Amino acid sequence: MKAAIRVEKLSVSFAGKHVIRHLSLEIASGGPTFLVGRSGSGKTTLLRALNRLNECLPGCATSGQVELRLGEQWVDAYAATTNVENLRRRVGMVFQSPNVLPLSILRNIEMPLKVALSLPADEAEARAEQALREVHLWDEVKDRLSQAASTLSGGQQQRLCLARTLALRPQILLLDEPTASLDFKAAQRIEDLLLELKSRYTLLVVSHSLGQARRIAESLFVLHDGERIEALSKDVFQDRDALFSVMDELI
Amino acid sequence: MADRQEKLSVAFAWLSALLVPALLAMVTGFLLRRGLPSLQVALWFGDTPPLAALLHGAPVFDGIWPACLGTLYLVALVALMAVPLGVASGIFLAEYAGGRTKLAFSFCIELLAGIPSILMGLFGFALILFLRRSFAPEANTCLLLSAFCLTLLVLPYLISSTRLAIESLPDALRLTGASLGLSHWQLIRRILLPASAPGIFSGVILAIGRAAEDTAVILMTGVVANAGTPGSLTAKYEALPFHIYYLAAEYQSPAELAQAFATALVLLALTGLLLLAARRLQAGLEIK
Ligand SMILES: Nc1ncnc2c1ncn2[C@@H]1O[C@H](COP(=O)(O)OP(=O)(O)O)[C@@H](O)[C@H]1O
Ligand SMILES: [Mg+2]
Repeated sequence: MKAAIRVEKLSVSFAGKHVIRHLSLEIASGGPTFLVGRSGSGKTTLLRALNRLNECLPGCATSGQVELRLGEQWVDAYAATTNVENLRRRVGMVFQSPNVLPLSILRNIEMPLKVALSLPADEAEARAEQALREVHLWDEVKDRLSQAASTLSGGQQQRLCLARTLALRPQILLLDEPTASLDFKAAQRIEDLLLELKSRYTLLVVSHSLGQARRIAESLFVLHDGERIEALSKDVFQDRDALFSVMDELI
Repeated sequence: MADRQEKLSVAFAWLSALLVPALLAMVTGFLLRRGLPSLQVALWFGDTPPLAALLHGAPVFDGIWPACLGTLYLVALVALMAVPLGVASGIFLAEYAGGRTKLAFSFCIELLAGIPSILMGLFGFALILFLRRSFAPEANTCLLLSAFCLTLLVLPYLISSTRLAIESLPDALRLTGASLGLSHWQLIRRILLPASAPGIFSGVILAIGRAAEDTAVILMTGVVANAGTPGSLTAKYEALPFHIYYLAAEYQSPAELAQAFATALVLLALTGLLLLAARRLQAGLEIK
């Protein structure tokens, strides 16, 4: 098992209040690795610590070490020499509720490519198509690419967000409850997608659904109030009763 | 009892809501009744043939055409100086300034917002006196000076509305942009500014309206009753609000007073047109 993410004594606080304290863990490449825990336990904050997104929020302070394997190299995420924009492109993130930009479907994917990567128009367009095919959205939207992205259904919007992230060619994907705001069928499609993507990306998925974790997780972590993180072995979380008894004490 | 209270509050809310359009209709109706009869070509150009004035710049003596141009130039100059400066300061305060710097700057802007316009006019006047006594003996009150002082007057509106518009955007927008690898400036330029355009625009509306109607500042800094069409940035000029004030204060016949009302109508229409133009500008700013 090759590691892809190493977290060492990570602490994150907002306005002096600790949300994550002295947390250490190691996440294997591939996956999907699932992260569960009760609401407010700091799952989202932990994900955002990996691509330094917490820095965009007021009053946040982070200490400890986060190392990511990008390509064949280990990168210290918080080192002064690390280019944070570049890091965030290579550690992509999909959020809990679909956050399409108020742009057309195509522009949602192209804008970051043109602005952040300075890609020429034809290359951006080619990448956009490739990304839309990768999330099986191309056939649904190829005739309406210039329509506002907000006209898509929730599930389509979430796949568009996934495509937008994939178009930046990340190596690690952080997904924060990607199916929480979707209906059953749309959630099913995202789950199928995760199974397809796991061979090409390292996937770290926060989930509120134990059933989902049981179905597709390769490994599973339980986060207890930002302080303690517990790895469950596959035979524990694959066994429905064992999993639920572990989770019972959580809730 | 509660039922009656609710009915009363609803009735009161309706009444208050109707009051504004009713007052607006009254003011406009009054202006139209008094001003419309005088709203003729002669009001604009006096005895000068309109085409000669428009195409060849023939001087206009008894019309409001020079005042129209003066106000237009003034507003354009103010917009040119105040909008970029105000929006940039707003961005600075919302995105770059932190802690004490932010407090200090906000305090200065609140102070600036509290200065009455007559003081701003006096400041312009004093500035010219100072310039004349020091390194520019031939400096005089003029169009540029008025525009400068009006810029100071409207800057706080622009800064505050820009800052507020950016700061009230949801965190999610910021996180989205950053997660896609945009730098701070790219995030501002591509996502935050377009998303806050409506708020910024309302500041621009306020600023333009204020610059078009202000009389106190220009009174001290270069407007005169008879200057003809403004020749250069350093020339004296005429302006509609001052023309109205002048006519209303010194009219010698009922016809002149009627002219003042007609001029007020023109000023109203001009401000309306400027606002439409600003709206077009905003449409161009929308996320593309
Ligand atoms: N931007 C923020 N500012 C202040 N507190 C925050 C912020 N984000 C999260 N928190 C706090 O951190 C704790 C964990 O939040 P979060 O990471 O969203 O938990 P989870 O995703 O597990 O529900 C919560 O108590 C929340 O109030
Ligand atoms: Mg969360």
